Amino acid sequence: MGRGAASSSSSSFESSSYPSVSGESSFPQRKRDLSTDLRLGLSISTSQQDNPSTPSEQLMDWPPSKPVPRKALDSEENEYCSSTLFVKVYMEGIQIGRKLNLLAHDGYHDLIQTLDQMFNTNILWPEMDVENSAHCHVLTYEDKEGDWLIVGDVPWEMFLPSVRRLKITRADSL
Amino acid sequence: MITNKKPRSSDTDSNYMRDDRTEMSEDDDRSPPSDSIANGSCPTRTCTPGSGSGSGSGSSSIPEYSAPYPDRVLENVLENVLWFLTSRKDRNAASLVCRSWYRVEAMTRSDLFIGNCYAVSPERATSRFTRVRSVTLKGKPRFADFNLMPPNWGAHFAPWVSATAKAYPWLEKIHLKRMSVTDDDLALLAESFSGFKELVLVCCDGFGTSGLAAVASKCRQLKVLDLIESEVSDDEVDWIMCFPDTETCLESLIFDCVECLVDFDALERLVVRSPSLKKLRLNRFVSIGQLYRLMVRAPQLTHLGTGSFSPSEDVAQGELELDYVSAFAACKSLVCLSGFREIVPDCLPAIYPICANLTSLNFSYANISAEQLKPIISNCHKLQTFWVLDSICDEGLQAVATTCKELRELRVFPFDPREDIEGPVSEVGLQAISEGCRKLQSILYFCQRMTNAAVIAMSKNCPDLVVFRLCIMGRQRPDHVTGEPMDEGFGAIVMNCKKLTRLAVSGLLTDTAFAYIGKYGKIVRTLSVAFAGDSDMGLKYVLEGCPRLQKLEIRDSPFGDTALLSGLHHYYNMRFLWMSACRLSHQGCQQIAQALPHLVVEVIKHEDTVHTDDYADTLYMYRSLAGRRHDVPKFVSIL
Repeated sequence: MGRGAASSSSSSFESSSYPSVSGESSFPQRKRDLSTDLRLGLSISTSQQDNPSTPSEQLMDWPPSKPVPRKALDSEENEYCSSTLFVKVYMEGIQIGRKLNLLAHDGYHDLIQTLDQMFNTNILWPEMDVENSAHCHVLTYEDKEGDWLIVGDVPWEMFLPSVRRLKITRADSL
Repeated sequence: MITNKKPRSSDTDSNYMRDDRTEMSEDDDRSPPSDSIANGSCPTRTCTPGSGSGSGSGSSSIPEYSAPYPDRVLENVLENVLWFLTSRKDRNAASLVCRSWYRVEAMTRSDLFIGNCYAVSPERATSRFTRVRSVTLKGKPRFADFNLMPPNWGAHFAPWVSATAKAYPWLEKIHLKRMSVTDDDLALLAESFSGFKELVLVCCDGFGTSGLAAVASKCRQLKVLDLIESEVSDDEVDWIMCFPDTETCLESLIFDCVECLVDFDALERLVVRSPSLKKLRLNRFVSIGQLYRLMVRAPQLTHLGTGSFSPSEDVAQGELELDYVSAFAACKSLVCLSGFREIVPDCLPAIYPICANLTSLNFSYANISAEQLKPIISNCHKLQTFWVLDSICDEGLQAVATTCKELRELRVFPFDPREDIEGPVSEVGLQAISEGCRKLQSILYFCQRMTNAAVIAMSKNCPDLVVFRLCIMGRQRPDHVTGEPMDEGFGAIVMNCKKLTRLAVSGLLTDTAFAYIGKYGKIVRTLSVAFAGDSDMGLKYVLEGCPRLQKLEIRDSPFGDTALLSGLHHYYNMRFLWMSACRLSHQGCQQIAQALPHLVVEVIKHEDTVHTDDYADTLYMYRSLAGRRHDVPKFVSIL
């Protein structure tokens, strides 16, 4: 039986639901180590690993191209090397924030899911149906120029290099 | 004269190590020349005096006299003739003719090429070939470059350097690829070979600048020191300073992969006293201002690799005002340009004067856009080799296609090798290249999306393709327009490109793709497969259909024991087979090992995999006359 049998993969980069190749546990796998998250007791990474339908995370040995050595980008907050991009996330009204690895996510949907779980809320964003906006939150981010913007307007890959930090604000406070 | 040549049936790339030549030499030990003429079996290019009326030239009155030993004379003649034979394939074939030819060929071979350092022991090789001047050794399989092999697997240079040090004190050249080389090895090399001229280390590791220092200081005849994609540790020895103070013989100095600072003044002085220097590739610690100084000293360069193509951090006074354009213009012989690390695109116009002469341009470390590329590439009419990052986008590739009509080799590398991003190059770029660059022979193309149509177009537009390597980075991605698997595209490549010997496939592929490869890929020697196929049939098609297959590397594909067993007839004709994260069981691998005693069957465990007893993580197997190696690390078991 084939590995990662061809499911209908959407070619839209937004949904990025490429067939998983990490689902079968009987297969020898080499997974990225997400143990930093696990040690903090967060539930983020386990949900990704257990669910075979979530797209697999970045493999360290694929694609077969040696990385281009390039100077690290100069931001202290963002560790933009090829495998992690941790940003701070604050929820309005809560002083202590969290940190999140954006590169461990495949797109906005994935990010929203994680944040919903992390902060136990529902985050609205442009494409979602608004069911009950009163108790919802909206996700915003601060870009490199210091401006605060709604998350989701630009393609994911354009978002990644420009985001400095995230903030979840109440929908009705905008 | 020998008339019976028994070519190996399916193996024109006959390995000189084949032991079964002994049976051959008993059969057709030379018949005396007169017999062969009487038989009229085949045109005898006989050169021995004892042959009388040779080829019916009418000189039949020469009496036959007994030459001391016809063997000896024949061998002398052969020796003189065989010196001219340089091709490895021809030599291997010649050595199979009979014992005498074998001996003479062994005496006259000066370039020893060993495609797998574990296929033969150093002692055996050095005792057969006695007059070798140049040794080429390849070690780890290619997938080791991508973290698929745990470190310290092997491929040690040490036993080879000590054997060759004893056997070939006159050795001039060593070329290593994917070997583990230590500083001690390099020191021994420097000590042992007084006339040493060329050292080329490609994708090697295990040594540092102290090893380089030993070579630089002791090898006084050194012409070539090329370090390519190798990992060199910084032992804080300035090896450039270790070259002798006198004039050097250096013709080529390539050290762009060495991640250590070198003393620039020492480098400049070295360049000044190396009048024969033609190839110089600097590392990124050399700034553009320093490059200028070197170019001014060495206008005779034909191959130049710039260091960091940007001004140094503390910009030296006047560095920005230097006339780079003139410096480049003065290098009238420059045909190959590379480097451009940490590029500041504003500096690029400096190279305009030489674009028209360039045959090779490597921008694969330069993150430049299509707009930045266009003014350069539009002048590169003679370009034959072009390596670039996908940051130039499809638009940049279109510009290449418009101008570079002589292009033979193209490599497009990913700037950001992740899977889920949109990706700047696609089938559009590939199509454009196929239409503009009809003489293309070799392509390596990384992209996020592709269509069968573009691949088919390339197969028709570029009939001279010898190497086709397409890496669609998203695993198992189909044709993004039709949603179909990429079978038809790759099928067209093997069907239409009659000269194709190397193929790498990717994207969503069913067994059909492999059926095509097995049916049409009759001269394919190297095949690379990842995340492809549906069942054992895929691998079977290839093993049964491709008689020239030498190197097969497969990862993460659903091929199991049945498929593996279907290749039993062929494995002795191959250099190696690599299969990782497939569906091979230990028993299956064991069966192979038992059936083929001259095959070394290694099963490699990876530390961080989920271990099951059922599946073998990685199978790496290769023919060998040396049997199981003695330097097996703990994580490898040889069956």
